[in-house]
Amino acid sequence: MTDMSSEQELLEFLYACPVGLIECDAAGEIGMMNPHAMQHLLPLAGARNASNLFAALEQHAPELRSMAAAFVPASGRICDGHRIFVELGPGRQGMVPKVLACTLVKLGPDRLMATLADVSQQVVQENRLRQADAWFATVLDDVDGYAALTITPDGEIASANSCFLNQTGHAPADVIGHNLADVLGTDVPGDDMRLDEQLVIAGRDGWHLQEGWQQRADGKRFWCQRLVVAQSTGDPLKPRRFSVVLRDVPRPEAATGDLRRLLTSDHLTGAANRRHFSQAMAKAQARSRDRHEPVSMIALDLDHFKAVNDSHGHPAGDTLLCRVTEVCTALLPPSGVFARLGGEEFGVLLPRYDHAQAMALAEQLRAEIETVAVETSGGLLHVTASLGCATLEEADGSIDALIALADRRLYAAKRAGRNQVCDSQSDAT
Amino acid sequence: MSEIESSFETITLRNLDAMNEQARDALPYGVVGFAADTIVQTYNATEARLSGLDPATVIGVPFFEAVAQCMNNFMVAQRFEDEPELDAIIPYVLTLRMRPTKARLRLLATAGITRRYVLIER
Repeated sequence: MTDMSSEQELLEFLYACPVGLIECDAAGEIGMMNPHAMQHLLPLAGARNASNLFAALEQHAPELRSMAAAFVPASGRICDGHRIFVELGPGRQGMVPKVLACTLVKLGPDRLMATLADVSQQVVQENRLRQADAWFATVLDDVDGYAALTITPDGEIASANSCFLNQTGHAPADVIGHNLADVLGTDVPGDDMRLDEQLVIAGRDGWHLQEGWQQRADGKRFWCQRLVVAQSTGDPLKPRRFSVVLRDVPRPEAATGDLRRLLTSDHLTGAANRRHFSQAMAKAQARSRDRHEPVSMIALDLDHFKAVNDSHGHPAGDTLLCRVTEVCTALLPPSGVFARLGGEEFGVLLPRYDHAQAMALAEQLRAEIETVAVETSGGLLHVTASLGCATLEEADGSIDALIALADRRLYAAKRAGRNQVCDSQSDAT
Repeated sequence: MSEIESSFETITLRNLDAMNEQARDALPYGVVGFAADTIVQTYNATEARLSGLDPATVIGVPFFEAVAQCMNNFMVAQRFEDEPELDAIIPYVLTLRMRPTKARLRLLATAGITRRYVLIER
């Protein structure tokens, strides 16, 4: 085999390789890449620089830049299969959201190697497996650890097994005829779904599973999975009954705090990441549908941020992003989610907030960001933000439309001179 | 035909399609013509020289799947699927011999002409 033909063969091999391969320097400037990598990168880069890895991924995985910068050893694996959630914006409805897995390896002080692969289908399967797993766990694990009850459509307890005593401290004989919600003391105002609301959904869908605090006879709270299943009667005239299974489980946050933080938060700022934001959105949408509650979103973008990075460097820009995240999260209500969606772009999800409440919070955020100051060698650095608010109701219940509407208003705020919140009326264009 | 009328930006799909092989080879930018099934029918000398690919290995092969995988996305391939009338210039980055290369693409398709074209200016 001659040298010519082996080089040609190597080229053909790289052209046909079904995984994206990229070689770049420490700043992300790409030296070599195969077409498969470019096929993933170009659509993400949009108007940004597609020949720089970090610039091209700035909107979807801004954390990659800081992960590479924070990696101290001279060589080694920076991340393995790091997931980049691509579809969050409008369009491509009904399609499986695209998820890329990125592995980044440091070959030397100024040499990085990256692979990109589409793992969308795999992620869908994982989710399906996780759901099935939760179901099997609920049915099979440690059967004695389950309190099983039967209740009427009004929530009145018709029967309870002995495990109910172990779990809650209430003897079954004492609670029959009482309302389960009263016995468990669960329906306090807060984030959890009330029992009567859960019964409505179980009546409609056949079942409903939720997690939340319940109260024992001694007043202590415990974290509990509550599964409500509608019993089939066969006779439409006979009133339905519901089976309820209570399972004392560790709180997911408490048990797996570190892992959870790692998976749900942005590497640099600690704000929620895109993946967590999109999951929280879907959850809020489902709740809004079931309970007719408002949901609002604020889109937030720092003004002239590129100039900050260009003139003061990325470290100063990074500090600024962290400070902005800090002041904004401090203002958020308990159920609110503050997420970093792109380089200098943030999203705020506000369950149970109507438009007026969201506007008021957006104005607070704007005013607070204005007060942030970061010291640099070139003096104090300030920043302002442009914001757009929208409600799920205005978007006809569609998440994509909600994000698009908040974005449109954000750009209206930019056009109107920046450092302001766009009012809903001015987006008529 | 004057140089102006045959430039990257101004040449019409009709003129391009009517040209003989030699005239297309003489154009200063790459020209790839393919059928509705994306099988490459014509590949001019400029494109062969700049891409380093022998036209003989390209002609008869599905363009987006085997030759230009980096155009197999919604920005290029999908537009030929979606838009029966297409004349658009887009900035692009090619991966020629694995190097990112900035280029401009002109996408051309029209109802009366079965062959579609991608023009590539580097």
